[in-house]
Amino acid sequence: MPKIEVNENLFFELVGRRMEAAELEAALETAKAELDGWDADGPADGRTIKIELNDTNRPDLWSTAGIARQLRVRAGGAVPEYPFFSREGEARPSEYRVVVDASIRELRPFMAGFVISGKAISDAMLRDAIQTQEKLCSNFGRKRRSVSMGMYRIDLIKWPVAYKGADPDSVSFTPLQAQERMTLRRIVAEHPKGKEYGHIIADSPVYPVLMGADGGVLSMAPVINSADIGAVQVGDRDLLVEFTGTDMAAVCLSANIVACDFADAGYAIKPLRVDYAYDTPFGRSVTFPYYFQKPASVDSGRVTKLLGDNIGPEAVVEALARMGVRSEAHGQHVRAYPPEYRDDFIHAVDLVEDVMIGRGMASFAPERPRDFTIGRLSPVESFTRKAKDVMVGLGYQEMIYNYLGSGKDYIERMNVPADGVIRISNPMTENFEYVRPSILPGLMQSEAVSSKAPYPHRIFEAGKVAFLDETQNYGTSTRQRVGFLCSHQGADYNELAGEVAALLYYLGEDYAVEESDDPRFLPGRQARIMVRGAGVGFFGEVHPAVLENWGVTMPCVACELDLESLI
Amino acid sequence: MDPRSIVKSLHPLEIKVLLHYAPGDGLDSGRLAAELGYLEGHANQAQAWLTAKGLASETGRSSKSVFELTPLGRAWLESGTPEERMVAFLAKNGPSAMPAICQAIGMEQKDAGSAYGRLSKEGVLSMSPEKLVSIADASRSKRSAAMRALLSKAAAADSGILGESDLDASEAALMAEVAKKRGSGDAAFRSAERETVTWALAGEAAEVAAILRETGVSGDELGAVTQAMLEDGSWKGAAFRSYNIKSRPARLIPGRRNPYVQFLESVKDKLVSLGFEEFDGGLVETEFWNGDALFMPQFHSARDIHDVYYLAEPTKARSIEEPYLSRVAATHENGGATGSRGWRYGFDREFTKRLVLRSQGTVLSARQLPKASIPGKYFGIARCFRYDKVDATHLSDFYQTEGIVLGDDVSLKTLLGFLEMFAVEVAGAKEVKYVPGYFPFTEPSVEVHIKHPVLGWFELGGAGIFRPEVTEPLGVSVPVLAWGIGIDRMALMALGLNDLRELFSYDIEDVRLRRALVR
Repeated sequence: MPKIEVNENLFFELVGRRMEAAELEAALETAKAELDGWDADGPADGRTIKIELNDTNRPDLWSTAGIARQLRVRAGGAVPEYPFFSREGEARPSEYRVVVDASIRELRPFMAGFVISGKAISDAMLRDAIQTQEKLCSNFGRKRRSVSMGMYRIDLIKWPVAYKGADPDSVSFTPLQAQERMTLRRIVAEHPKGKEYGHIIADSPVYPVLMGADGGVLSMAPVINSADIGAVQVGDRDLLVEFTGTDMAAVCLSANIVACDFADAGYAIKPLRVDYAYDTPFGRSVTFPYYFQKPASVDSGRVTKLLGDNIGPEAVVEALARMGVRSEAHGQHVRAYPPEYRDDFIHAVDLVEDVMIGRGMASFAPERPRDFTIGRLSPVESFTRKAKDVMVGLGYQEMIYNYLGSGKDYIERMNVPADGVIRISNPMTENFEYVRPSILPGLMQSEAVSSKAPYPHRIFEAGKVAFLDETQNYGTSTRQRVGFLCSHQGADYNELAGEVAALLYYLGEDYAVEESDDPRFLPGRQARIMVRGAGVGFFGEVHPAVLENWGVTMPCVACELDLESLI
Repeated sequence: MDPRSIVKSLHPLEIKVLLHYAPGDGLDSGRLAAELGYLEGHANQAQAWLTAKGLASETGRSSKSVFELTPLGRAWLESGTPEERMVAFLAKNGPSAMPAICQAIGMEQKDAGSAYGRLSKEGVLSMSPEKLVSIADASRSKRSAAMRALLSKAAAADSGILGESDLDASEAALMAEVAKKRGSGDAAFRSAERETVTWALAGEAAEVAAILRETGVSGDELGAVTQAMLEDGSWKGAAFRSYNIKSRPARLIPGRRNPYVQFLESVKDKLVSLGFEEFDGGLVETEFWNGDALFMPQFHSARDIHDVYYLAEPTKARSIEEPYLSRVAATHENGGATGSRGWRYGFDREFTKRLVLRSQGTVLSARQLPKASIPGKYFGIARCFRYDKVDATHLSDFYQTEGIVLGDDVSLKTLLGFLEMFAVEVAGAKEVKYVPGYFPFTEPSVEVHIKHPVLGWFELGGAGIFRPEVTEPLGVSVPVLAWGIGIDRMALMALGLNDLRELFSYDIEDVRLRRALVR
């Protein structure tokens, strides 16, 4: 979940008034955001507020202007208007033009942008734009794969700009943070940003570049800007902001978000016409910022049903307006026009949530459910509790262990083969590489760390184990088992056998024992527990070799019983 | 200490000493043995306990030589000394060669040699030129007689120990000849220095004794209530000794439930009492149920390799249940029949079969949907696995508590009603607030925050109404409330812990000593 830092002065200026921490915290709730920190030190114009955003479908909130807009409108401010948007069949006149070449079609086909002008860019806005670029392109743009962003000084650009695939070896420019011209291929191989993002384009025969009419390179998308045209500084006026990527709607939405942010901060937004050599979802020639969103609609009956309060169409329209969403009622239906900077109305229920937030959580009184249902524990849980009662009666202390562990503990120390044990292909460390196939390793680990605990030790755990099982669709089985271990000078098979008998008696089962040759136990002092002809568990004297593997020097006897097969 | 409280803590062994002797009387274990019939150990206990109470003190120590009958000595007493056995053998078999004697009576050559030496010196045995040993004078074995007398005397003494003062001059001379120091296994007696402590009752003892006499305590009161005394009625009219009830009881290690598991069970019981039925499932899941069925797009950042554990082998399920697979795939691609526009990407039908360790409890809620009753309420406390560095606040496997409510009638307001019940009933909260939340599978979504009496405000859980993109492909058309509550922090507080790893402690003594502070 993105965390952003906003300049305190700029933020409150955009909100329309200053707030104290408590008030700000409450207001941020309407943006599913949390106050994460407020740096109280430093000069008034340098202080920052840290905010965490929880909604991954609302990238418009990940900037100073975006979050301020949500708070301003929610508090009763007017729904902002952005007249510079072009719409389907209504392109705004543009002074600037980008030509997209067919050579880029297979690699990174979509491009959007606009020009900001009217005043010099401030330190706070430049920082915010850089932060937006980072958050938008990393989270929403899937680490620049589907969306990346660049900003350029317009006075150095010769129009029209071409967006095209360029030969990695013959085209070169001086990238930011470098002292000399480098070929595109060298940038990908050697430049820090090339190493970070170059993999997105590295396998392509051509690399994407934005190039001025004079051949000057603006940038190699999505990797790095040029050191001259692409080096934006505080005080610069008239900047080109562009977005490229693989998902037209995401590219376009990103452009819209940044355009609205700059507009809110008092900059003029000038349209940019992009002429494609191929069809795009929005046509061959698209003027950005472009309003591409489709109206969404919701029935006020659905709102009432889901929210539980009787909310008529007018009330829906009113609540949506407080979320910055224009809408109109047509009978019971409400047709909503997503704001230019939002594209998250995937289903009518998404509008329902905006109605909820627009009306405020406090307006919904909690209500007791009317439906009568019978509660009950699962059969496995009920049966397990029965077994636990007997174990406690036998003097055993209940333990609870983690289900992930190492091959050393689950396999090597237990002297069992690795087949049958579930291994994780991407473990974080070898300490958590396997799913436990048995409860015994946990019990043995307890013994290994508890030699100072007064004896006798009687410990048990009831819980799940999982192992490979070819008969299952998932190739694995999960079973509920109880395992218990007794350790003291005289711990032996006979003592344990009496306890096994008591447990099975109270679980209501007749059982028989069969000879077994489990390497975890001493030969001739171990048994398989048979119920209705099937093996349901095992017990015996833990083999001294296993005790030695665990560094345990007190005799141990142990049993494991599959509870699920007895239910 | 107050004499009357001392009286209550006296043992009969102390009482008898206090009643029999006056302060200043010289006491030692021998005297207590002779006059009170105490075994040496009892005499020592009486002295130690009285000294600890300030009623007695040591007056001196002396050491004396003692001679303890060894196991070999006891064996000789029973089956004869080497000399006796040799004479008995010769009496029965007539003149014999030395090796034959040794073999017949099971004696080593050198021991037999020494025995012969002593007997021949006394004139009892003699040896012929043919090296045959024979009895010369059966009546003259005085030494043997004296030895047998000494062995018998020692066997009759307390613990088989004779002191120097117990021996007359001839006995002492014989003892000096046969006894050996500690560590020698081939002698009939072991000699040692034994320290005797002399002690006396202190002045305060007189006062305590006076109280004993005044209250009629004799030290002959009965100890345990026995089966025999109950059967024959002899307990009637008898006095029972008072115990020192202030003494520290012995530690017991009882069989016992684990407090963390009990905490989890108490939450389950609460939810059952609120009408919820428990569900359960396997630890291994597919990407389909772990994410796809929850309408999380396959490219969602939470589905990254760094968030979920994958199985090494097998890597995929053989199949995914239909018609759910087709419906979910269509819903991701274009909304299918759910009224959604979907995520607008190509659903990967191989990726969806990939096996993972269940990373969220909501998986079980989704799995319950196709088989759920309407109305219905279900919950589960599910072990989940996350790709996290293990520390005080993160575990690689942990529990999530999740549930669903299905009904034609349920809404946001009933959801808030449930959350309020959980906050009050499960978490013991006094104040509750709700704020808008975000979860990929619910819309609308809310978070519930509670003011806990100890922890202050914190997020108890998240909830919402399942998106139609989740419920409809799984065959449910009524609203489904979905909720999850975080109970780990409450568990830590209830157990007085502050590190999640301690919930799953391997340390037996830690777990034995752990108390549940709350509930």
